[in-house]
Amino acid sequence: MYPWIWRHLPGNAWVKSLIALVLVLAVVYALFQYVFPWAEPLLPFNDVTVDNNGMQAVTP
Amino acid sequence: MARTDRARGRIAATVGVLGELLITAGLILALFVVYSLWWTNVLADREAKRQGGRIRDHWAQSAPGAGSGAPGALDTKDGIGFLHVPAMHNGEVLVKAGTGSKVLNEGVAGFYKEPVASAMPWDRQGNVTLAAHRDGHGAKFHNIDKLKDGDAIVFETRDVWYVYTVYAELKQTSRYNTAVIDQVPKESGRSRPGRYLTLTTCTPVYTSDYRYVVWAELSRTEKVDAKRTPPKELR
Repeated sequence: MYPWIWRHLPGNAWVKSLIALVLVLAVVYALFQYVFPWAEPLLPFNDVTVDNNGMQAVTP
Repeated sequence: MARTDRARGRIAATVGVLGELLITAGLILALFVVYSLWWTNVLADREAKRQGGRIRDHWAQSAPGAGSGAPGALDTKDGIGFLHVPAMHNGEVLVKAGTGSKVLNEGVAGFYKEPVASAMPWDRQGNVTLAAHRDGHGAKFHNIDKLKDGDAIVFETRDVWYVYTVYAELKQTSRYNTAVIDQVPKESGRSRPGRYLTLTTCTPVYTSDYRYVVWAELSRTEKVDAKRTPPKELR
């Protein structure tokens, strides 16, 4: 997977590294901005309230 | 000979890709921890600071004492005041209406609207019930376990400082135990209506299997003066 991406990046090693870095940053950005906020309420780590049915705390 | 080499090459490639996927999954999980325990705090603290600043501006425009009978009966949407808990060492916590994740994720404490509606500090009697995050999203109640009997909890509204004293803690209870936020919290040992304050959050840290509850009782109130001099508990 990663070797395949590396082979298909254009330019010499320096350019490839730079593009790879940009790609990594883009992925991290997407994770922090979209994926994690979406996933977090689905995971049982951060419910803090007491309630009757348990669902309110997750999706009020 | 060539055939076995090719087969071996294919297996090696498959295992390699599998390994890369596992490493990737591990990195994503590590990033999620970073997100949960650090980045959400950054976002929430920023948001809470902005909103808190707005409330203080509101308050500054309407000088203390100028209000009518109900002190702090402002619109509850923006927040009703600030919670100061010296024993938690976390500064002031903005208190807003509701305990949904959308509210709590702004790095504030929320007062319950359901299943049992919270009282307001200025009510003649009742239980002011609050929830906030233990970890992430500001982690405003992270140090709730540092609270001991006799510790002060101060609720600041526009016109009045409400000084509460902690008298009971419940270190672990079921998330379904809504009795802890009753208007007369019997589980804390009190049986008569009074002016109570209840803090709830999740426990143990980094999980939300159980709830941690701290009860306090109003010991006195102090009028806010022109310079907003904090009560002695906060000095």
